[in-house]
Amino acid sequence: MSLKLIIGNKNYSSWSMRPWIAMKAAGIPFDETVISLYVEGSEAAIRAHSPAGKVPILIDRQGDREVRVWESLAILEYLAEKFPAAQLWPSDPAARALARAISTEMHAGFVPLRQQCSMNMWRPPARRDLSDDAKANIARIQALWTDARDRFGTSGPFLFGRLCAADAMYAPIVSRFETYAIDVSAPVAAYMQAMIALPAWQEWRRAALRETWVIPKFEYDWPDVKRLAADAA
Amino acid sequence: MKLVIANKNYSSWSMRPWIAMKAAGIAFDEVLIPFGSPLGNEEFKQRLAAYTPAGMVPVLIDGDTHIWETLAIIEYLAEAFPDRRLWPADGKARTQARVLASEMHAGFAALRRECPMNIRRPVWARELSAAALANVARIEAMWGECRARHGGPFLFGKFCAADAMYAPVVTRLHTYGIKVDRDTLGYMEAVMALPAFAEWRAGALAESAIVAEDEIDWPTVL
Repeated sequence: MSLKLIIGNKNYSSWSMRPWIAMKAAGIPFDETVISLYVEGSEAAIRAHSPAGKVPILIDRQGDREVRVWESLAILEYLAEKFPAAQLWPSDPAARALARAISTEMHAGFVPLRQQCSMNMWRPPARRDLSDDAKANIARIQALWTDARDRFGTSGPFLFGRLCAADAMYAPIVSRFETYAIDVSAPVAAYMQAMIALPAWQEWRRAALRETWVIPKFEYDWPDVKRLAADAA
Repeated sequence: MKLVIANKNYSSWSMRPWIAMKAAGIAFDEVLIPFGSPLGNEEFKQRLAAYTPAGMVPVLIDGDTHIWETLAIIEYLAEAFPDRRLWPADGKARTQARVLASEMHAGFAALRRECPMNIRRPVWARELSAAALANVARIEAMWGECRARHGGPFLFGKFCAADAMYAPVVTRLHTYGIKVDRDTLGYMEAVMALPAFAEWRAGALAESAIVAEDEIDWPTVL
């Protein structure tokens, strides 16, 4: 058996971060292939793995049998079925239903926030002016995190107590809130700290800070590129 | 069990779990909250807030559990009614079905923008942007591949959640007279021949409320 995850730049690719963090934190072994996004040849490189032309892509090879899965949510469902002991979703049905609802809300939502606060892990934290739509996204995310924590998260520091797929889906939002110095409530700040303290998070971040590929459209000070030191704590 | 939806003529997201449940024979009561005008008005928001904090239809209510987001609703139903086979039984097919469903969930923005679901609208061809045409090509390729592999008439043989996810796309391709290949047409006919589809459509045709934002010739309503 071998699992391979095809991902984009760790500094910018929020979709790639989601299954990567989920797998690392759950102790599921896999190889990774990183494709530098938005450069000549990157689209062809992705399409060689998936006709949808998007990262991440999970390839599961067992002998001559191969399964290719794209779309973060479908990847997470696939892993949850394949590794039931990893408990990628909460075991309580009501908690699991909420975890899937908020994961799906992330999957297709919060477009203004995503547009105005691109994930950019090496950017030194600094505020940006945001539209009312983006501010409404931030309020909704804080509300749904707090609701999950209050209802199902009392046994641990994550949304549903122990880390699950819903936390992985929101990991890039935690990064954005940090990078763009978003004002958050104390409970939300505590949740963000728990996420950032994950060894899997730190591993991803270290690799992101060492990358050299710059994507101008995600650098809001372009042609200036503000970067934390590669060894920043 | 209760399903909260909006106008059957326009609400493509509402149509998905509704048709999945009807086709699977899962009993439910329907709560219809009309969008009203303009889209996103306070009255709609307030009525919906009684069911979900996310501010979106559809919402499934099962006792104390309120579930929003179409895909999450479908996963919940698949777990609650395993014998109804909302997802294909074969593992590889199930994964593929979830990939298709997720791709629909967050994708095809150009097609959705240029061709809002509007079941009542007379069939009338419309020109699409290159981005929307690329969406159509991708959808036709996916449908064709799935039906070739599983034998049709639906994407994975018998009707499943992936078909429900694409049901509103079938109506859009139909309504806007989009040129598709013969195989795609065969799939569209199979979906539109479902009793659940006919029941939804009849409900849509009986509605009179107009959502200006979804009428592409506004102020003309065909």
